[in-house]
Amino acid sequence: MLDTLSRDAPAPLDAPPREPVAPARRQPAHGLAVTVHDLHKSFDGHPVITGLDLFLPAGGFTAIVGRSGCGKSTLLRTILGLETPTAGRVQVEAGAATSPRAAPSQRIMFQEPRLLPWASVLDNVAVGLTGLGTRAERRDRAQAALAEVGLADKAGQWPATLSGGQRQRVALARALVSGPGLLALDEPLGALDALTRIGMQELIERIWQAQGFTALLVTHDVSEAVALADRILVMEGGRIALDLRVDVPRPRRRGEPDLARLEGRILDHLLGTPQAA
Amino acid sequence: MTLSLSRARHATVPWLLPAAILVGWQAAVSAGLISSRVMPAPLDVVRAGWEAGRTGELWTNLGVSTLRALAGFAVGGGIGFVLGLANGLSRLSERLTDTSVQMVRNVPHLSLIPLVILWFGIGEEAKLFLVALGVFFPIYANTLHGIRSVDPALVEMGRVYGMSRAELFRRVVLPGALPSIFVGLRYALGIMWLTLIVAETISASSGLGYMAMQAREFMLVDVVVLAILIYALLGKLADTFTRALERSCLSWNPAYRSA
Repeated sequence: MLDTLSRDAPAPLDAPPREPVAPARRQPAHGLAVTVHDLHKSFDGHPVITGLDLFLPAGGFTAIVGRSGCGKSTLLRTILGLETPTAGRVQVEAGAATSPRAAPSQRIMFQEPRLLPWASVLDNVAVGLTGLGTRAERRDRAQAALAEVGLADKAGQWPATLSGGQRQRVALARALVSGPGLLALDEPLGALDALTRIGMQELIERIWQAQGFTALLVTHDVSEAVALADRILVMEGGRIALDLRVDVPRPRRRGEPDLARLEGRILDHLLGTPQAA
Repeated sequence: MTLSLSRARHATVPWLLPAAILVGWQAAVSAGLISSRVMPAPLDVVRAGWEAGRTGELWTNLGVSTLRALAGFAVGGGIGFVLGLANGLSRLSERLTDTSVQMVRNVPHLSLIPLVILWFGIGEEAKLFLVALGVFFPIYANTLHGIRSVDPALVEMGRVYGMSRAELFRRVVLPGALPSIFVGLRYALGIMWLTLIVAETISASSGLGYMAMQAREFMLVDVVVLAILIYALLGKLADTFTRALERSCLSWNPAYRSA
Protein backbone atom coordinates (compact mmCIF):
# COMPACT_ATOMS: atom_id res chain seq x y z
CA MET A 1 0.00 0.00 0.00
CA LEU A 2 1.49 3.27 -1.08
CA ASP A 3 -0.65 5.87 0.56
CA THR A 4 -0.63 5.57 4.24
CA LEU A 5 -2.51 8.22 6.12
CA SER A 6 0.62 9.85 7.43
CA ARG A 7 2.06 10.29 3.93
CA ASP A 8 -1.13 11.83 2.70
CA ALA A 9 -1.26 14.25 5.56
CA PRO A 10 -1.18 17.45 3.46
CA ALA A 11 -4.12 16.30 1.35
CA PRO A 12 -5.94 14.25 3.92
CA LEU A 13 -7.82 11.11 3.04
CA ASP A 14 -7.34 11.59 -0.68
CA ALA A 15 -10.81 12.97 -0.61
CA PRO A 16 -12.39 13.99 -3.88
CA PRO A 17 -13.41 17.63 -4.09
CA ARG A 18 -16.54 18.64 -2.27
CA GLU A 19 -17.89 21.09 -4.83
CA PRO A 20 -20.98 19.87 -6.63
CA VAL A 21 -20.28 18.08 -9.91
CA ALA A 22 -20.89 20.01 -13.06
CA PRO A 23 -24.40 19.25 -14.32
CA ALA A 24 -24.49 16.08 -16.37
CA ARG A 25 -23.32 16.81 -19.88
CA ARG A 26 -24.68 13.61 -21.24
CA GLN A 27 -28.22 12.39 -21.26
CA PRO A 28 -28.91 10.29 -18.21
CA ALA A 29 -30.04 6.71 -18.74
CA HIS A 30 -27.80 6.07 -21.71
CA GLY A 31 -26.82 2.89 -19.95
CA LEU A 32 -26.70 -0.56 -21.46
CA ALA A 33 -28.84 -3.48 -20.35
CA VAL A 34 -27.21 -6.82 -19.71
CA THR A 35 -28.86 -10.18 -20.21
CA VAL A 36 -27.13 -13.36 -19.14
CA HIS A 37 -28.81 -16.58 -20.14
CA ASP A 38 -27.92 -20.00 -18.75
CA LEU A 39 -24.24 -19.12 -18.47
CA HIS A 40 -21.68 -21.82 -17.79
CA LYS A 41 -17.99 -21.19 -17.43
CA SER A 42 -15.34 -23.65 -16.39
CA PHE A 43 -11.57 -23.50 -16.30
CA ASP A 44 -9.76 -26.76 -17.13
CA GLY A 45 -12.90 -28.69 -16.37
CA HIS A 46 -13.52 -26.96 -13.04
CA PRO A 47 -16.93 -25.35 -13.18
CA VAL A 48 -16.91 -21.78 -11.88
CA ILE A 49 -20.28 -20.57 -13.10
CA THR A 50 -23.06 -23.12 -13.40
CA GLY A 51 -26.23 -22.13 -15.20
CA LEU A 52 -26.60 -18.49 -14.26
CA ASP A 53 -29.44 -16.26 -15.45
CA LEU A 54 -29.39 -12.55 -14.89
CA PHE A 55 -30.92 -9.36 -16.21
CA LEU A 56 -29.43 -5.97 -15.40
CA PRO A 57 -31.64 -3.09 -16.52
CA ALA A 58 -30.02 -0.07 -18.11
CA GLY A 59 -28.79 2.57 -15.71
CA GLY A 60 -28.92 0.45 -12.56
CA PHE A 61 -26.21 0.01 -9.96
CA THR A 62 -25.78 -3.66 -9.13
CA ALA A 63 -23.27 -5.14 -6.74
CA ILE A 64 -22.15 -8.75 -6.70
CA VAL A 65 -20.79 -10.03 -3.42
CA GLY A 66 -19.56 -13.43 -2.40
CA ARG A 67 -16.68 -15.32 -0.90
CA SER A 68 -13.50 -15.43 -2.91
CA GLY A 69 -13.70 -18.12 -5.56
CA CYS A 70 -17.48 -17.91 -5.87
CA GLY A 71 -17.20 -16.88 -9.52
CA LYS A 72 -18.13 -13.22 -9.16
CA SER A 73 -15.05 -11.87 -10.96
CA THR A 74 -15.43 -14.50 -13.66
CA LEU A 75 -19.04 -13.44 -14.19
CA LEU A 76 -18.00 -9.83 -14.57
CA ARG A 77 -15.15 -10.69 -16.94
CA THR A 78 -17.47 -12.86 -19.02
CA ILE A 79 -20.05 -10.08 -19.29
CA LEU A 80 -17.29 -7.75 -20.47
CA GLY A 81 -16.13 -10.29 -23.04
CA LEU A 82 -12.76 -10.87 -21.37
CA GLU A 83 -13.62 -14.55 -20.96
CA THR A 84 -15.59 -16.64 -23.42
CA PRO A 85 -18.52 -18.53 -21.93
CA THR A 86 -18.22 -22.31 -21.94
CA ALA A 87 -21.96 -22.40 -22.65
CA GLY A 88 -24.80 -19.92 -22.57
CA ARG A 89 -25.16 -16.39 -23.78
CA VAL A 90 -24.31 -12.87 -22.66
CA GLN A 91 -26.01 -9.96 -24.33
CA VAL A 92 -25.21 -6.32 -23.75
CA GLU A 93 -27.58 -3.94 -25.48
CA ALA A 94 -28.90 -0.43 -25.43
CA GLY A 95 -31.81 0.10 -23.05
CA ALA A 96 -35.20 1.29 -24.23
CA ALA A 97 -34.66 4.89 -23.17
CA THR A 98 -31.43 5.20 -25.08
CA SER A 99 -31.03 7.24 -28.19
CA PRO A 100 -29.87 4.94 -30.97
CA ARG A 101 -26.90 7.19 -31.68
CA ALA A 102 -25.26 6.62 -28.33
CA ALA A 103 -22.17 4.50 -28.89
CA PRO A 104 -22.64 1.30 -26.91
CA SER A 105 -19.41 0.94 -25.01
CA GLN A 106 -18.23 -0.97 -21.99
CA ARG A 107 -15.45 -0.13 -19.64
CA ILE A 108 -13.86 -1.96 -16.77
CA MET A 109 -12.00 -0.71 -13.75
CA PHE A 110 -9.57 -3.28 -12.39
CA GLN A 111 -8.47 -3.90 -8.84
CA GLU A 112 -5.11 -2.32 -9.68
CA PRO A 113 -5.07 1.02 -11.49
CA ARG A 114 -3.13 -0.45 -14.46
CA LEU A 115 -1.88 2.94 -15.58
CA LEU A 116 0.91 3.11 -18.14
CA PRO A 117 3.88 4.24 -16.05
CA TRP A 118 5.55 5.85 -19.09
CA ALA A 119 2.59 8.04 -20.00
CA SER A 120 1.55 11.21 -18.23
CA VAL A 121 -1.62 11.21 -16.16
CA LEU A 122 -3.41 13.05 -18.97
CA ASP A 123 -2.24 10.59 -21.64
CA ASN A 124 -3.32 7.73 -19.41
CA VAL A 125 -6.83 9.12 -19.27
CA ALA A 126 -6.72 9.65 -23.03
CA VAL A 127 -6.14 5.88 -23.40
CA GLY A 128 -9.88 5.67 -22.64
CA LEU A 129 -10.50 7.48 -25.93
CA THR A 130 -8.32 5.22 -28.09
CA GLY A 131 -9.56 5.46 -31.65
CA LEU A 132 -11.97 8.31 -30.95
CA GLY A 133 -11.59 11.83 -32.31
CA THR A 134 -8.49 13.89 -32.94
CA ARG A 135 -5.55 14.18 -30.59
CA ALA A 136 -6.61 17.64 -29.48
CA GLU A 137 -10.16 16.46 -28.78
CA ARG A 138 -8.87 13.53 -26.79
CA ARG A 139 -6.71 15.81 -24.68
CA ASP A 140 -9.59 18.19 -24.01
CA ARG A 141 -11.94 15.40 -23.00
CA ALA A 142 -9.27 13.73 -20.89
CA GLN A 143 -8.62 17.02 -19.12
CA ALA A 144 -12.34 17.39 -18.39
CA ALA A 145 -12.52 13.85 -17.04
CA LEU A 146 -9.54 14.51 -14.79
CA ALA A 147 -11.26 17.61 -13.45
CA GLU A 148 -14.30 15.48 -12.70
CA VAL A 149 -12.28 13.23 -10.40
CA GLY A 150 -10.54 16.25 -8.87
CA LEU A 151 -7.10 15.71 -10.37
CA ALA A 152 -6.98 18.47 -12.98
CA ASP A 153 -3.71 19.77 -11.56
CA LYS A 154 -1.96 16.39 -11.91
CA ALA A 155 -2.38 16.15 -15.68
CA GLY A 156 1.30 16.48 -16.52
CA GLN A 157 2.68 14.19 -13.81
CA TRP A 158 3.89 10.61 -14.04
CA PRO A 159 1.66 8.01 -12.37
CA ALA A 160 4.57 7.04 -10.10
CA THR A 161 4.28 10.38 -8.32
CA LEU A 162 0.64 9.81 -7.30
CA SER A 163 -0.72 8.11 -4.22
CA GLY A 164 -2.62 4.84 -4.54
CA GLY A 165 -5.97 6.56 -4.20
CA GLN A 166 -5.08 9.18 -6.78
CA ARG A 167 -3.99 6.49 -9.23
CA GLN A 168 -7.30 4.73 -8.86
CA ARG A 169 -9.07 8.03 -9.53
CA VAL A 170 -7.05 8.40 -12.73
CA ALA A 171 -8.15 4.88 -13.66
CA LEU A 172 -11.76 5.92 -12.98
CA ALA A 173 -11.36 8.98 -15.20
CA ARG A 174 -9.90 6.75 -17.93
CA ALA A 175 -12.84 4.35 -17.64
CA LEU A 176 -15.40 7.14 -17.81
CA VAL A 177 -13.88 9.58 -20.28
CA SER A 178 -15.57 7.97 -23.28
CA GLY A 179 -18.99 8.09 -21.61
CA PRO A 180 -19.48 4.31 -21.49
CA GLY A 181 -22.89 2.68 -21.21
CA LEU A 182 -21.64 -0.01 -18.86
CA LEU A 183 -19.00 0.34 -16.21
CA ALA A 184 -17.75 -2.83 -14.59
CA LEU A 185 -15.83 -2.43 -11.36
CA ASP A 186 -13.74 -5.42 -10.37
CA GLU A 187 -13.00 -4.78 -6.69
CA PRO A 188 -11.50 -1.44 -7.65
CA LEU A 189 -11.19 -0.18 -4.10
CA GLY A 190 -9.86 -3.33 -2.47
CA ALA A 191 -6.30 -2.05 -2.20
CA LEU A 192 -7.16 1.33 -0.71
CA ASP A 193 -7.22 2.28 2.94
CA ALA A 194 -10.63 2.61 4.58
CA LEU A 195 -10.96 6.39 4.44
CA THR A 196 -9.70 6.76 0.88
CA ARG A 197 -12.13 4.03 -0.05
CA ILE A 198 -15.13 5.90 1.33
CA GLY A 199 -14.08 8.99 -0.62
CA MET A 200 -13.85 6.92 -3.80
CA GLN A 201 -17.25 5.33 -3.17
CA GLU A 202 -18.84 8.76 -2.92
CA LEU A 203 -17.08 9.85 -6.09
CA ILE A 204 -18.27 6.80 -8.02
CA GLU A 205 -21.84 7.27 -6.78
CA ARG A 206 -21.84 10.95 -7.75
CA ILE A 207 -20.53 10.31 -11.26
CA TRP A 208 -22.91 7.38 -11.75
CA GLN A 209 -25.86 9.61 -10.82
CA ALA A 210 -24.67 12.33 -13.16
CA GLN A 211 -23.96 10.09 -16.15
CA GLY A 212 -26.51 7.33 -15.83
CA PHE A 213 -24.40 4.42 -17.03
CA THR A 214 -25.13 0.87 -15.90
CA ALA A 215 -22.77 0.01 -13.06
CA LEU A 216 -21.76 -3.48 -12.06
CA LEU A 217 -19.59 -3.71 -8.98
CA VAL A 218 -17.86 -6.86 -7.81
CA THR A 219 -16.70 -6.62 -4.24
CA HIS A 220 -16.13 -8.68 -1.14
CA ASP A 221 -16.83 -5.67 1.04
CA VAL A 222 -20.51 -6.03 1.91
CA SER A 223 -20.76 -2.55 3.42
CA GLU A 224 -19.48 -1.11 0.17
CA ALA A 225 -22.10 -2.99 -1.81
CA VAL A 226 -24.82 -1.84 0.56
CA ALA A 227 -23.70 1.78 0.40
CA LEU A 228 -23.57 1.97 -3.38
CA ALA A 229 -25.93 -0.45 -5.07
CA ASP A 230 -29.68 -0.55 -5.70
CA ARG A 231 -29.47 -4.25 -6.07
CA ILE A 232 -27.19 -6.79 -4.48
CA LEU A 233 -26.56 -10.26 -5.80
CA VAL A 234 -24.96 -12.76 -3.48
CA MET A 235 -23.11 -15.44 -5.41
CA GLU A 236 -22.42 -18.88 -4.12
CA GLY A 237 -21.00 -21.90 -5.94
CA GLY A 238 -21.35 -20.35 -9.38
CA ARG A 239 -24.97 -19.29 -8.95
CA ILE A 240 -26.90 -16.36 -7.58
CA ALA A 241 -28.01 -17.36 -4.12
CA LEU A 242 -29.66 -14.14 -3.05
CA ASP A 243 -31.03 -11.21 -5.02
CA LEU A 244 -31.84 -8.19 -2.87
CA ARG A 245 -33.12 -4.71 -3.64
CA VAL A 246 -31.71 -1.82 -1.67
CA ASP A 247 -34.49 0.72 -1.39
CA VAL A 248 -32.65 3.16 0.84
CA PRO A 249 -32.84 6.64 -0.70
CA ARG A 250 -29.67 8.50 -1.66
CA PRO A 251 -27.56 10.15 -0.46
CA ARG A 252 -27.09 7.32 1.99
CA ARG A 253 -25.54 7.99 5.31
CA ARG A 254 -22.97 5.46 6.40
CA GLY A 255 -24.21 3.41 9.33
CA GLU A 256 -27.89 4.03 8.65
CA PRO A 257 -29.93 1.33 10.46
CA ASP A 258 -31.57 0.10 7.24
CA LEU A 259 -28.18 -0.37 5.61
CA ALA A 260 -26.75 -2.02 8.70
CA ARG A 261 -29.67 -4.46 8.85
CA LEU A 262 -29.21 -5.35 5.20
CA GLU A 263 -25.48 -5.76 5.63
CA GLY A 264 -26.08 -8.05 8.59
CA ARG A 265 -28.49 -10.14 6.59
CA ILE A 266 -26.04 -10.60 3.72
CA LEU A 267 -23.18 -11.38 6.07
CA ASP A 268 -25.31 -13.94 7.89
CA HIS A 269 -26.04 -15.56 4.58
CA LEU A 270 -22.41 -15.58 3.53
CA LEU A 271 -21.26 -16.94 6.86
CA GLY A 272 -23.98 -19.55 6.82
CA THR A 273 -25.56 -18.49 10.10
CA PRO A 274 -29.32 -18.90 10.16
CA GLN A 275 -30.92 -15.50 10.29
CA ALA A 276 -32.42 -14.51 13.62
CA ALA A 277 -36.16 -14.01 13.35
CA MET B 1 26.16 29.65 -3.47
CA THR B 2 26.23 26.65 -1.19
CA LEU B 3 24.12 24.83 -3.73
CA SER B 4 26.51 25.41 -6.63
CA LEU B 5 29.41 24.56 -4.35
CA SER B 6 27.87 21.28 -3.33
CA ARG B 7 26.99 20.56 -6.93
CA ALA B 8 30.60 21.20 -7.98
CA ARG B 9 31.74 18.87 -5.25
CA HIS B 10 29.19 16.33 -6.41
CA ALA B 11 30.60 16.50 -9.93
CA THR B 12 34.25 16.21 -8.90
CA VAL B 13 33.91 13.26 -6.53
CA PRO B 14 33.92 10.55 -9.25
CA TRP B 15 37.17 11.96 -10.68
CA LEU B 16 39.09 12.09 -7.40
CA LEU B 17 40.26 8.50 -7.62
CA PRO B 18 41.54 8.63 -11.23
CA ALA B 19 43.31 11.93 -10.46
CA ALA B 20 44.97 10.48 -7.35
CA ILE B 21 46.16 7.47 -9.33
CA LEU B 22 47.66 9.72 -12.00
CA VAL B 23 49.49 11.83 -9.43
CA GLY B 24 50.82 8.75 -7.61
CA TRP B 25 51.86 7.21 -10.88
CA GLN B 26 53.78 10.32 -12.00
CA ALA B 27 55.45 10.55 -8.61
CA ALA B 28 56.46 6.87 -8.66
CA VAL B 29 58.04 7.12 -12.13
CA SER B 30 59.75 10.44 -11.40
CA ALA B 31 61.22 9.04 -8.20
CA GLY B 32 62.55 6.09 -10.17
CA LEU B 33 60.42 3.53 -8.32
CA ILE B 34 59.11 2.26 -11.65
CA SER B 35 61.31 1.96 -14.73
CA SER B 36 60.00 4.20 -17.51
CA ARG B 37 60.55 1.30 -19.90
CA VAL B 38 57.97 -0.71 -18.00
CA MET B 39 55.56 2.13 -17.38
CA PRO B 40 55.99 5.59 -18.85
CA ALA B 41 55.12 8.62 -16.73
CA PRO B 42 51.74 10.21 -17.38
CA LEU B 43 53.47 13.29 -18.73
CA ASP B 44 55.30 11.14 -21.30
CA VAL B 45 51.98 9.67 -22.31
CA VAL B 46 50.54 13.15 -22.71
CA ARG B 47 53.56 14.06 -24.80
CA ALA B 48 53.08 10.96 -26.95
CA GLY B 49 49.43 11.86 -27.35
CA TRP B 50 50.32 15.41 -28.34
CA GLU B 51 52.84 14.12 -30.88
CA ALA B 52 50.41 11.58 -32.36
CA GLY B 53 47.73 14.25 -32.46
CA ARG B 54 50.04 16.73 -34.18
CA THR B 55 50.97 14.34 -36.96
CA GLY B 56 47.31 13.41 -37.38
CA GLU B 57 48.06 9.71 -36.87
CA LEU B 58 45.94 9.59 -33.71
CA TRP B 59 42.88 11.16 -35.32
CA THR B 60 43.05 8.97 -38.40
CA ASN B 61 43.25 5.82 -36.30
CA LEU B 62 40.59 7.02 -33.87
CA GLY B 63 38.30 7.87 -36.77
CA VAL B 64 38.83 4.50 -38.44
CA SER B 65 38.16 2.61 -35.22
CA THR B 66 35.05 4.64 -34.35
CA LEU B 67 33.60 4.11 -37.78
CA ARG B 68 34.22 0.36 -37.58
CA ALA B 69 32.72 0.21 -34.12
CA LEU B 70 29.58 2.09 -35.12
CA ALA B 71 29.08 0.16 -38.34
CA GLY B 72 29.44 -3.18 -36.56
CA PHE B 73 27.16 -1.97 -33.80
CA ALA B 74 24.50 -0.82 -36.25
CA VAL B 75 24.50 -4.13 -38.11
CA GLY B 76 24.70 -6.49 -35.12
CA GLY B 77 22.52 -4.37 -32.85
CA GLY B 78 19.95 -3.89 -35.60
CA ILE B 79 19.66 -7.58 -36.30
CA GLY B 80 19.60 -8.42 -32.57
CA PHE B 81 16.88 -5.88 -31.91
CA VAL B 82 14.67 -7.01 -34.76
CA LEU B 83 15.09 -10.70 -33.93
CA GLY B 84 14.50 -9.97 -30.24
CA LEU B 85 11.27 -8.18 -31.12
CA ALA B 86 10.18 -10.94 -33.46
CA ASN B 87 10.85 -13.68 -30.94
CA GLY B 88 9.29 -11.70 -28.12
CA LEU B 89 6.10 -11.16 -30.09
CA SER B 90 5.77 -14.44 -31.98
CA ARG B 91 5.95 -17.91 -30.49
CA LEU B 92 6.54 -19.39 -33.91
CA SER B 93 9.52 -17.19 -34.62
CA GLU B 94 10.95 -18.01 -31.21
CA ARG B 95 10.55 -21.75 -31.63
CA LEU B 96 12.13 -21.51 -35.03
CA THR B 97 15.23 -19.49 -34.13
CA ASP B 98 15.87 -19.34 -30.41
CA THR B 99 17.56 -22.74 -30.06
CA SER B 100 20.00 -21.97 -32.85
CA VAL B 101 20.72 -18.53 -31.43
CA GLN B 102 21.41 -19.97 -27.99
CA MET B 103 23.81 -22.53 -29.46
CA VAL B 104 25.76 -19.93 -31.39
CA ARG B 105 25.75 -17.68 -28.34
CA ASN B 106 27.78 -20.15 -26.35
CA VAL B 107 30.64 -20.00 -28.83
CA PRO B 108 33.01 -17.22 -27.71
CA HIS B 109 32.87 -14.94 -30.70
CA LEU B 110 36.56 -14.05 -30.46
CA SER B 111 37.41 -17.71 -31.04
CA LEU B 112 36.21 -17.15 -34.59
CA ILE B 113 39.10 -14.79 -35.35
CA PRO B 114 41.22 -17.41 -37.20
CA LEU B 115 38.21 -18.42 -39.28
CA VAL B 116 37.29 -14.81 -39.93
CA ILE B 117 40.82 -14.03 -41.11
CA LEU B 118 40.62 -17.00 -43.48
CA TRP B 119 37.28 -15.75 -44.80
CA PHE B 120 37.83 -12.03 -45.04
CA GLY B 121 41.58 -11.55 -44.68
CA ILE B 122 42.37 -8.50 -42.58
CA GLY B 123 39.95 -6.23 -44.44
CA GLU B 124 37.08 -4.21 -43.00
CA GLU B 125 34.59 -7.06 -43.28
CA ALA B 126 36.46 -9.08 -40.68
CA LYS B 127 36.16 -6.37 -38.04
CA LEU B 128 32.59 -5.56 -38.94
CA PHE B 129 31.62 -9.21 -38.72
CA LEU B 130 33.22 -9.74 -35.31
CA VAL B 131 31.79 -6.56 -33.79
CA ALA B 132 28.34 -7.28 -35.19
CA LEU B 133 28.44 -10.80 -33.80
CA GLY B 134 29.58 -9.63 -30.37
CA VAL B 135 26.97 -6.89 -30.15
CA PHE B 136 24.13 -9.05 -31.42
CA PHE B 137 23.66 -11.27 -28.37
CA PRO B 138 23.26 -8.77 -25.54
CA ILE B 139 20.84 -6.70 -27.62
CA TYR B 140 18.91 -9.78 -28.71
CA ALA B 141 18.67 -11.37 -25.27
CA ASN B 142 17.68 -8.19 -23.47
CA THR B 143 15.13 -7.12 -26.07
CA LEU B 144 13.53 -10.55 -25.87
CA HIS B 145 13.58 -10.50 -22.09
CA GLY B 146 12.17 -6.96 -22.01
CA ILE B 147 9.21 -7.88 -24.16
CA ARG B 148 8.57 -11.04 -22.18
CA SER B 149 8.53 -9.15 -18.92
CA VAL B 150 5.97 -6.53 -19.95
CA ASP B 151 3.16 -6.64 -17.39
CA PRO B 152 0.36 -8.77 -18.91
CA ALA B 153 -2.14 -6.75 -16.88
CA LEU B 154 -1.18 -3.67 -18.87
CA VAL B 155 -1.47 -5.56 -22.13
CA GLU B 156 -4.95 -6.72 -21.14
CA MET B 157 -5.84 -3.14 -20.23
CA GLY B 158 -4.68 -1.98 -23.67
CA ARG B 159 -6.81 -4.62 -25.36
CA VAL B 160 -9.87 -3.75 -23.29
CA TYR B 161 -9.43 -0.12 -24.29
CA GLY B 162 -9.50 -1.08 -27.93
CA MET B 163 -5.86 -0.66 -28.92
CA SER B 164 -4.93 -2.28 -32.21
CA ARG B 165 -1.92 -4.59 -32.31
CA ALA B 166 0.28 -1.82 -33.66
CA GLU B 167 -0.91 0.60 -30.98
CA LEU B 168 -0.48 -1.99 -28.29
CA PHE B 169 3.10 -2.49 -29.40
CA ARG B 170 3.91 1.21 -29.64
CA ARG B 171 2.20 2.36 -26.46
CA VAL B 172 2.50 -0.62 -24.12
CA VAL B 173 4.96 -3.32 -25.17
CA LEU B 174 7.88 -1.28 -26.47
CA PRO B 175 7.96 1.29 -23.65
CA GLY B 176 7.66 -1.56 -21.17
CA ALA B 177 10.60 -3.37 -22.73
CA LEU B 178 12.76 -0.26 -22.96
CA PRO B 179 14.52 -0.46 -19.57
CA SER B 180 15.70 -3.97 -20.40
CA ILE B 181 16.72 -2.95 -23.93
CA PHE B 182 18.90 -0.24 -22.42
CA VAL B 183 20.66 -2.79 -20.25
CA GLY B 184 21.43 -4.70 -23.44
CA LEU B 185 22.65 -1.51 -25.09
CA ARG B 186 25.15 -0.82 -22.35
CA TYR B 187 26.49 -4.35 -22.40
CA ALA B 188 26.72 -4.21 -26.16
CA LEU B 189 28.70 -0.98 -26.15
CA GLY B 190 31.27 -2.57 -23.86
CA ILE B 191 31.53 -5.64 -26.04
CA MET B 192 31.73 -3.46 -29.11
CA TRP B 193 35.02 -1.81 -28.01
CA LEU B 194 36.43 -5.02 -26.62
CA THR B 195 35.84 -6.94 -29.83
CA LEU B 196 37.11 -4.18 -32.04
CA ILE B 197 40.34 -3.69 -30.13
CA VAL B 198 41.09 -7.40 -30.07
CA ALA B 199 40.34 -7.70 -33.76
CA GLU B 200 42.47 -4.68 -34.61
CA THR B 201 45.33 -5.92 -32.47
CA ILE B 202 45.40 -9.22 -34.29
CA SER B 203 44.54 -8.31 -37.83
CA ALA B 204 44.49 -4.77 -39.10
CA SER B 205 46.44 -2.15 -40.96
CA SER B 206 44.88 0.86 -39.27
CA GLY B 207 42.93 1.76 -36.15
CA LEU B 208 43.70 2.20 -32.47
CA GLY B 209 44.53 -1.45 -31.87
CA TYR B 210 46.86 -1.39 -34.84
CA MET B 211 48.49 1.77 -33.49
CA ALA B 212 49.15 0.05 -30.17
CA MET B 213 50.63 -3.05 -31.86
CA GLN B 214 52.90 -0.92 -34.04
CA ALA B 215 54.10 0.92 -30.96
CA ARG B 216 54.91 -2.38 -29.31
CA GLU B 217 57.09 -3.36 -32.27
CA PHE B 218 59.15 -0.21 -31.69
CA MET B 219 59.06 -0.43 -27.89
CA LEU B 220 57.09 2.83 -27.66
CA VAL B 221 55.53 2.06 -24.28
CA ASP B 222 54.07 5.55 -23.98
CA VAL B 223 52.02 5.08 -27.16
CA VAL B 224 50.79 1.70 -25.93
CA VAL B 225 49.62 3.25 -22.68
CA LEU B 226 48.12 6.15 -24.61
CA ALA B 227 46.02 3.71 -26.63
CA ILE B 228 44.86 1.98 -23.47
CA LEU B 229 43.87 5.28 -21.88
CA ILE B 230 41.93 6.21 -24.99
CA TYR B 231 39.99 2.94 -24.69
CA ALA B 232 39.08 3.89 -21.14
CA LEU B 233 37.88 7.32 -22.23
CA LEU B 234 35.89 5.90 -25.14
CA GLY B 235 34.24 3.40 -22.83
CA LYS B 236 33.33 6.15 -20.40
CA LEU B 237 31.99 8.23 -23.28
CA ALA B 238 29.75 5.42 -24.51
CA ASP B 239 28.49 4.88 -20.98
CA THR B 240 27.75 8.58 -20.46
CA PHE B 241 25.88 8.66 -23.74
CA THR B 242 23.71 5.68 -22.75
CA ARG B 243 23.00 7.14 -19.35
CA ALA B 244 21.85 10.41 -20.91
CA LEU B 245 19.64 8.47 -23.30
CA GLU B 246 18.21 6.43 -20.44
CA ARG B 247 17.51 9.51 -18.43
CA SER B 248 15.58 11.14 -21.23
CA CYS B 249 13.72 8.01 -22.41
CA LEU B 250 12.99 6.53 -18.99
CA SER B 251 12.25 9.70 -17.04
CA TRP B 252 8.91 8.13 -16.01
CA ASN B 253 10.78 5.49 -14.05
CA PRO B 254 11.79 6.66 -10.56
CA ALA B 255 14.94 4.51 -10.80
CA TYR B 256 16.29 6.56 -13.71
CA ARG B 257 15.08 10.01 -12.77
CA SER B 258 17.93 12.49 -12.45
CA ALA B 259 18.45 13.71 -8.92
